[in-house]
Amino acid sequence: MSQLVAIKGSKSGLRLQLDEAAAWNELFEALRSQFEQSSHFFNGSHILVDTGHRALTEDQMQALLALMQEYGIAPESLASTARETRDAARASGLVARPLTRASADQEDRGEALFVWRTIRSGQIIRHHGHITVLGDVNAGSEIIAGGSVIVWGHLRGTVHAGALGDRSMVICALELVPTQLRIADLIARTPEDNLERFPEVARVDDDYISVEAWEAYRR
Amino acid sequence: MSRVITITSGKGGVGKTTSTANLGTALASLGLRVAVVDADIGLRNLDIVMGLENRIVFDLVDVVENRARLRQALIKDKRFPDLCLLPAAQTRDKDAVSKDDMITLTNQLRAEFDYVLIDSPAGIESGFRNAIAGADEVLIVTTPEVSAVRDADRIIGLAEAFEKGHPRLILNRLKPQMVNRGEMMSIEDVLQILAVDLIGVVPDDEHIVTATNRGEVAVLDQDSRAGQAFFDIGRRLKGENVPMMSLEETPGVLERVFGFFGRRPRGI
Repeated sequence: MSQLVAIKGSKSGLRLQLDEAAAWNELFEALRSQFEQSSHFFNGSHILVDTGHRALTEDQMQALLALMQEYGIAPESLASTARETRDAARASGLVARPLTRASADQEDRGEALFVWRTIRSGQIIRHHGHITVLGDVNAGSEIIAGGSVIVWGHLRGTVHAGALGDRSMVICALELVPTQLRIADLIARTPEDNLERFPEVARVDDDYISVEAWEAYRR
Repeated sequence: MSRVITITSGKGGVGKTTSTANLGTALASLGLRVAVVDADIGLRNLDIVMGLENRIVFDLVDVVENRARLRQALIKDKRFPDLCLLPAAQTRDKDAVSKDDMITLTNQLRAEFDYVLIDSPAGIESGFRNAIAGADEVLIVTTPEVSAVRDADRIIGLAEAFEKGHPRLILNRLKPQMVNRGEMMSIEDVLQILAVDLIGVVPDDEHIVTATNRGEVAVLDQDSRAGQAFFDIGRRLKGENVPMMSLEETPGVLERVFGFFGRRPRGI
């Protein structure tokens, strides 16, 4: 995965932070490969594009928006220190504002998100790092994490770990009976006859998601 | 201190209106002043269930749009003079009323009644949002079916997001024999998923159908087990400590309910 593109989560949505120094073409391709791996992660999220000090022409801005559209990603706003970039964004119909790094740094603090409640049908928890839930994750809800997902409770909803493309992430729960499991680009569902009632861990093993008892995994 | 309680479910047809009519009547029979409000604008039903349809002159939308005063629109119940119905409009839709309208309306009703019960429409859209806008508490009605429970879960999440406290659950239309045969979700199965406090279990009962069709409420019928269950829920709502009714055909249910309460802390 490229270092040229960083994805950060905050309460208000996702921040897509683009490298300021790299050549535009290089950055553009890095962005494409990032979207290729993780477009699901962005679905329905509020997205702020952060271009830092980079000055973008109107053509580059339009290419950027076209690329995002290609992957079904609709950015909500853009933040930049460069006036011409903001002007180019406004010309393309995007809300643009000056970049405030102080708030950005605050948003980035803490890699893991801790949620202490029942996640109910229709609710969605999305975070760029790891997610820990103390409570049940009910059917009809979604957990989407850039990192791993740990549920201290029943996991019955849909869960996606490594949603930014990292297959090394795991999903574990006291009772792992999800509607669907996703790790990076792989998808699995719970077997219909699953009667396991002990803590389990799901991880990627040879291009497949495999689930095993926590007791076996930890050894 | 009057209380405004919204009865809702997400899924349609699980017994919101029946619950509202029966609980309203139960509370009125206990000597309280009760208003029941039909918030299902455009699909008016509560008046039919209570047998008051032919007395409607003005409705909720008339009050909101200042064509009638609240007093004029309130319909006195046939049996209990302290029980009043505020009917929904039948010829309008949900958009005729706003959240603020509902808050204003419930505040007016607080001045006159001890309890205001609001019958919510099904769904999670504006009609539901309006129905809980002025509420202090929420009662969720569900039946022991996977789809109804899923929708109840969704609604509980929304009620919590709107900061209406911890909703309590009415489990309606339970068939103890089917549960015993393992063909229906049990009380514990439902509570395991929803993780909320149970205020009562209402057994499936044909009396409800006959009573509803006649515009009478089962809660006044000594022979109706569902009616008695609703009466107990009314007393619990009032704050009385009423033991869960034994569902006759199923020895053990009573025990299981209590076992459950003993185990689980509230609100998790």
